[in-house]
Amino acid sequence: MTDGRGTDRPAGDGVLAAEDLVLRYPESDAPVIDGATHAFPEGRVTALVGPNGSGKSTLLRGLAGRLAPRAGTVTLRGRPLDDYGDRERARELARLPQEPTAPDGITVEELAYHGRYPHRGFLDTVDDADVAAVDRALRLVGIDRLRDRPLADLSGGQRRLAWVAMVLAQDADVLLLDEPTTFLDLRHQLAVMDVVRTLREDDETTVVLVLHDIEQAARYADEMVVLGDGQIHAHGVPREVLMPELLADVFGVEASVERGRFGPRLTMIGSADR
Amino acid sequence: MAGEVREKTGTAADRRLGWVNRQLVAVAVGSVAIVVVAATLQLSFGAYPVSPLGAWRVLADAEVLLSAAAWRAFLLGGRVPDYGTATLVVWTIRLPRVLVALLVGANLAVSGAVLQAITRNELASPFVLGVSSGAGLAVLLTVVVFTGLLPLLPLFAAVGGGIAFLLVYAIAWQGGTNPVRLVLAGVIVSSVFGSVQTGLFLLIEDIGLVQSVVAWTTGSLVGTDWAQVRMLLPWSVAAVGASLLGARELNVLTLGEETAASLGLSVERVRFLLSGVAVLAAATSVAAAGIVGFVGLVVPHIVRRSVGTDHKRLLVGCVFAGPALMLAADAGARLALSPAQIPVGIVTGLLGGPYFLYLMRKHGDFGGFR
Repeated sequence: MTDGRGTDRPAGDGVLAAEDLVLRYPESDAPVIDGATHAFPEGRVTALVGPNGSGKSTLLRGLAGRLAPRAGTVTLRGRPLDDYGDRERARELARLPQEPTAPDGITVEELAYHGRYPHRGFLDTVDDADVAAVDRALRLVGIDRLRDRPLADLSGGQRRLAWVAMVLAQDADVLLLDEPTTFLDLRHQLAVMDVVRTLREDDETTVVLVLHDIEQAARYADEMVVLGDGQIHAHGVPREVLMPELLADVFGVEASVERGRFGPRLTMIGSADR
Repeated sequence: MAGEVREKTGTAADRRLGWVNRQLVAVAVGSVAIVVVAATLQLSFGAYPVSPLGAWRVLADAEVLLSAAAWRAFLLGGRVPDYGTATLVVWTIRLPRVLVALLVGANLAVSGAVLQAITRNELASPFVLGVSSGAGLAVLLTVVVFTGLLPLLPLFAAVGGGIAFLLVYAIAWQGGTNPVRLVLAGVIVSSVFGSVQTGLFLLIEDIGLVQSVVAWTTGSLVGTDWAQVRMLLPWSVAAVGASLLGARELNVLTLGEETAASLGLSVERVRFLLSGVAVLAAATSVAAAGIVGFVGLVVPHIVRRSVGTDHKRLLVGCVFAGPALMLAADAGARLALSPAQIPVGIVTGLLGGPYFLYLMRKHGDFGGFR
């Protein structure tokens, strides 16, 4: 177990915290997350990593209140997540699902405006705050010039950026992103991760994201949470968490870890059980 | 589409009417034109011919138009004041049929659009989700078993449609629902209700009654008058108004349950309330006109293809296009084989089936929202 607490900025209290969280899907008996306790520090980027089926996305769903805990609690700013009204929660906490779908013909801008849903009352029309938030989100993600294009006409990478813009327009302090870079080409992966970095630096948004690429996670995240078999195996600063023993234990790979210029670099040697 | 270049969005005020686009205006204008032509046909042709111009002149007759007594008779029921034959024919026989067609068309189209958004399935309609079969069964039960309650027939249709839909919802419910389960449950309920319905046919001994029941189950506006208008109007206004108010919720729902929920939409509650609105709209039209197929399915399609998937535009488009299709179909049903009349549901079926076939052939991926 690695428990890294020495970060370059004093860690705030956990803005979002899970305590003894047990999550399980209705259709199966085995819990996917079996007793997870972790406080996600405010204004930091936390990456959830782990092998396939380790429960990363499930944990994210639980943290977003999309999966009712079998046991344990999730608290947002010290208040149980269940206490929040749907819209109230959505103003504080935004989540981008793994593979969202949109109807044909919807434009980038129309999609971004959906991000304003929790901020608008039942009969409210668009106000200046909505316009400003959408404009800012589109600019931040860098797809301002695509705003009138139908989503269906864009490349996969541009489409993902449009979804990120929608989530940003939601203007929440806590952002949960489920594999935002998977299936994207390198350029768009960088674009997404740069947005994450900007959010952290300019807005002090708390970001929790599931990443497949461990090096990417190590490079962009302040903190890593390593999941294996539904439990948190290790958490802390990437350079302290990423050790050959952990990679062997959790991922089942034999790898060497070197200090690179932008964080730890992994070199895979082979399968650990050989 | 893609070629459209717009100025950078300015202020919030600019955006408020921004949703009314050229395509929507085109749909509205086209629909109004169809309504005017079809209404002229309906008002002037028939056993007592009136010239087209004469029909409109009768409608504009200040003696009726500004008469409190006449409107009281139309809207509240009661005795219509004594007018000439032409006036009576146009105002008390032909106009109400036109109005019923308009209201039924709007209700079915809006109901279909709402149900399609809720289930995220372009094949959804009041028919698919069991509403129509529930209403139909209620009608048959009333006719065959509870003959004493015939005057309440429309009411029973609405109740039956509501019960069928609740049943569908209950079957689909497993700590939540999803579109696929809803549609499957609709198929289950429809086929069971349909079987019972067909079985009941065999119990009716009076052939004349069988004919009128068959006409009802295929949808017919024969013999509608101001009583139907009175029954339809308040419910139609309520249902159409409520669905327009829910347009933004419908838009968010079409992003999928996961996204909608993370945007703060109370998915189950909104879905249930809006389904209720859609059932109300559909059942009211079943009560007045029987089971008219395809309008609820085809109109939202046609409108969506021209105005896009935004539900404010889509629903407003449906409020125009639904009545236009229904009125035109009813003109065909009444006048094509004149003096014989065919149920309007047969005409909508004949128009809707091939349209659907055309869609299916043209778009391989057709059927889902993606």
